[in-house]
Amino acid sequence: MDRETLVKLEQLNQLSLTSQEQDEVLAFFAAREADWEALAAIDTENIERMVHVRPMTNVLREDVASQPFDREDLLVQAPESMDGYWQVPQVL
Amino acid sequence: MTAYETVIGLEVHIELATNSKIFCSCTNGSDADPNTHVCPACCGMPGMLPVANREVINLGMTAGMMLNCDINRTTTFDKKSYYYPDLPASYQTTQWFAPVAVNGHVTIETPEGPKDIRIKQIHMEEDAGKLVHDNLTFTTLVDFNRTSVPLIEIVSQPDLRNADEVEAYLERLRTLLRFAKVSGARMEKGTMRADVNLSVRPAGSQELGVRTEMKNMASIAAIRRAIEFETARHIDAIENGTEELVQETRGWNDDAGTSFSMRTKETAGDYRYFPDPNIMPIVIDDEWFDRIKASLPQLPEEKLEHYMAEIGLSEYDASALTQSRAFCDCFEGAMAAGAAAKDAANWIITNCAGILNKRGMTSDELPVPGSALGQLIALVDGGKLSSANGKRLLETLFDVAERGEAIPEDIAAFAETEGLLNSSDTGELEAVVAAVIAADPETAQAYRDGREKALNPLFGACMQQLKGKCDTQVLRELLIAELNKG
Ligand SMILES: [Zn+2]
Repeated sequence: MDRETLVKLEQLNQLSLTSQEQDEVLAFFAAREADWEALAAIDTENIERMVHVRPMTNVLREDVASQPFDREDLLVQAPESMDGYWQVPQVL
Repeated sequence: MTAYETVIGLEVHIELATNSKIFCSCTNGSDADPNTHVCPACCGMPGMLPVANREVINLGMTAGMMLNCDINRTTTFDKKSYYYPDLPASYQTTQWFAPVAVNGHVTIETPEGPKDIRIKQIHMEEDAGKLVHDNLTFTTLVDFNRTSVPLIEIVSQPDLRNADEVEAYLERLRTLLRFAKVSGARMEKGTMRADVNLSVRPAGSQELGVRTEMKNMASIAAIRRAIEFETARHIDAIENGTEELVQETRGWNDDAGTSFSMRTKETAGDYRYFPDPNIMPIVIDDEWFDRIKASLPQLPEEKLEHYMAEIGLSEYDASALTQSRAFCDCFEGAMAAGAAAKDAANWIITNCAGILNKRGMTSDELPVPGSALGQLIALVDGGKLSSANGKRLLETLFDVAERGEAIPEDIAAFAETEGLLNSSDTGELEAVVAAVIAADPETAQAYRDGREKALNPLFGACMQQLKGKCDTQVLRELLIAELNKG
């Protein structure tokens, strides 16, 4: 992880880190560099993709609708709301 | 002068006709009041766990099989990262590494004969919310009713060459998905939306030109205009250097008839797809696979052939019925309930279609099951229900469905309570006949003197008194017998 990659990720994630925060993140990744290199060195050719770490499959629900939550209960969580809508800074 | 070829691939989003959303049990119905079909999961609250809806997997498989795809027996969900207020979790749960269906094709008719359009893949995913701009506060209002509504995205290979082929492809997709009851697939309702990827190259070239993408096209007419405009724009850029073509997403302004640049397309890597650890892999065993395979409908052209060759319908009737899966189901159901094929076809094509039309409904919205129509036809044929009252009864069944109530099982009993059945009491008929003759002795005498047409006003007067509720054959016989007595 270099600073250029970090800045690009910041943009993609709509974050804005101070240069001190950037240093901390870069230090975090640098400390693990050796581990990743060790992992990357393993030959994974012809190894099937691991689908999930847990040996569980088909955790599904039936197609039954229910509405246990009130709009007003949920809107309490919104930073701002108006006429039943979440209200956010203009994006359109 | 160089001849150019337009190369088009489509990404078609289809909203699935399920009861509930894809990863939570909120109602699938984005037309409701804003944020009334929402819960912490589809609002992206931290810590909420998605649980996939089994019916979405069923419909994804069904779509895959209808489009001749291979079904991935282990299919998984992934997170696609992007930040926008219509996506509260800041990622869309979709399928990237193992989509439900791959490598299919759809056959369309072209002037040069049938042509296969290859399907790259079909993946299942959640829809995003709706954003509304508020002019007074200069803010954006967000409605999460549509977030997590289940979609499938059907990605074609760039095998389409012009607007006619695109239209034929979209119509074929729509027919197949409606017949399989995957979706109403209605562009005008937003349950079918297409992204059009287009590039232009010299005819005969194997290389692809610079590709632009127009997102969320909502009508076939707009798609046709956009393809024409973009093709001309690309050729102009290539020939005259009017602009440098860049790979980008463009919007389409249908009123102005022009496309406009939106933003340079983020490359696939920027979405940083990664497996969603909260959704366990879905493994489709043989039993599940075979069950879906067995549930696939006959294709409309197979039904057409069957209706004509084996049931003996005219081509007109057969093709009118096979426009719609609901018509076919109703027709087959009415026949199973004992109706004659020609009668059942007539009632659907004439009376049902008339009522649908009057109410602004599509043929796929026909609410009357075949068993009900079959019973209704039997009542009319058996002289228990006049044909006019049969139509009234049909209209009443539409009303029942419109109120959200179940269509009654026993149509004879229902017709009875609605007061539409013919009077089976000959005593009542005889009394009415006698009264009508007594009230108009001159016309009665005219009939007896040999003017046969004089029967009509008397018959009409009886029908009026009986409010149409009688077996007309029986009434006619009674009336003639009574006149001849006198
Ligand atoms: Zn929900």
